[in-house]
Amino acid sequence: MAHRAHGRLWLALTVVLLVAGLPACASFKDVATFASLSANGAGYGAVAKDYVGAIDRRKQYQPQKFQGELAALKTRREAQRASLDVLQQTITDYMQGLGDLASGNIRTYDESLKDLGENLNKASLLTDSEKDAVGALATLLARSVTAVYRQHEIRKMIQDGNQPLQDVAMAMRKIVRNGIIPDLQAESALVERYYDNFMLAPGNPAEPVAMALARETKAEALDRVDDRVQSAQRYNTMLDKIAQGHQYLYDHLDMIGNDKPGGQFTPYIESLRTAYRDLLEVAR
Amino acid sequence: MSKLTADETFELGNLVRDAAVSLGDWRIENRSRLSQKEWDELDDKEISLLNFASSIYTSAIGMVLDDSQAPLSRLKSDVEHAKSAIQHIKAFKQALDLASALVLFAGAVASGNVAEIPAAIVALEDSAAAIVNPRGSDDN
Repeated sequence: MAHRAHGRLWLALTVVLLVAGLPACASFKDVATFASLSANGAGYGAVAKDYVGAIDRRKQYQPQKFQGELAALKTRREAQRASLDVLQQTITDYMQGLGDLASGNIRTYDESLKDLGENLNKASLLTDSEKDAVGALATLLARSVTAVYRQHEIRKMIQDGNQPLQDVAMAMRKIVRNGIIPDLQAESALVERYYDNFMLAPGNPAEPVAMALARETKAEALDRVDDRVQSAQRYNTMLDKIAQGHQYLYDHLDMIGNDKPGGQFTPYIESLRTAYRDLLEVAR
Repeated sequence: MSKLTADETFELGNLVRDAAVSLGDWRIENRSRLSQKEWDELDDKEISLLNFASSIYTSAIGMVLDDSQAPLSRLKSDVEHAKSAIQHIKAFKQALDLASALVLFAGAVASGNVAEIPAAIVALEDSAAAIVNPRGSDDN
């Protein structure tokens, strides 16, 4: 009787595994790393903040008679702030979603396995080796099912999300590259004009100390604008790397969830990591 | 200006900004020939042009933001789907609970409750199928 029951137990577990019939290989680490870096980089908020804050900075470089039009411009930019934030936040949310999918809920799943272990200990009619075998098979099944589900969802998400992601990233890049950076260059011209006026205006007495101080202050002010330009340029590069990496995943959907993407996808992750590091460096 | 594309508007901003910079360069180079009044007048023009350039960039950015609304909506929808999928994976704990129950059943089988095994297998099979095959859940 015990022998027959024993046989049925193995039969039952074998059937479970056969029914599930799922592959065990599934490495999502690369996708998770890519998504995590992308989420962190895309959420970099200094560029949009600088864009809106630019008007306040420029007030000091312009006579009072221009303050009214600057105030109106500031109002227009403040009205755009929410849209800029949504654009960035949407990329961040998407990447966090992708990252969560790729990294899975391993903790939750492992906690459940602990419950399984406790229940196995209560199964006093099973031998130790049977308990070990049952535990191993249940773990395998759980991981297989989870892996296939995640693989399916990740592929679907990347397939559906690629075009809108490319569009949104392109929109943000266009804003940064064609709008925010040239606008900062206009700010640089304003700063330069302000100090040149002080030093070179007709009739200005050439006070050596005052001139030296003005040159120093001008250089510092221009450096600050240049830092902002660099920050925007690096953010633009970051977005470009995000778009390229996601495009690669989209072009190689069938490889996601197995070990194949590792080697070829690694350069995309590395260039993204470098771009993120550069961004953080200029943000200091 | 409303008929310009965003790209054309950005380019217009660049032209205006560059014109202001060129004007400033000319003013500096010719400062010895300019009166204070002429210097100030040109300075005002440069400021106006630089502010105008910033205003044009702001308009162009607004145009890009408007154009991005459609892809933004689609991407948001994908984000929502991801959140739903993640929620689904969390629910897989139920499948594990069923697997755990199967083990207990198996223990019971050894003592003679053989009839319980198929039901436990079916339950687990259903749970696994519901997760692996999202059709009928939120994968539409």
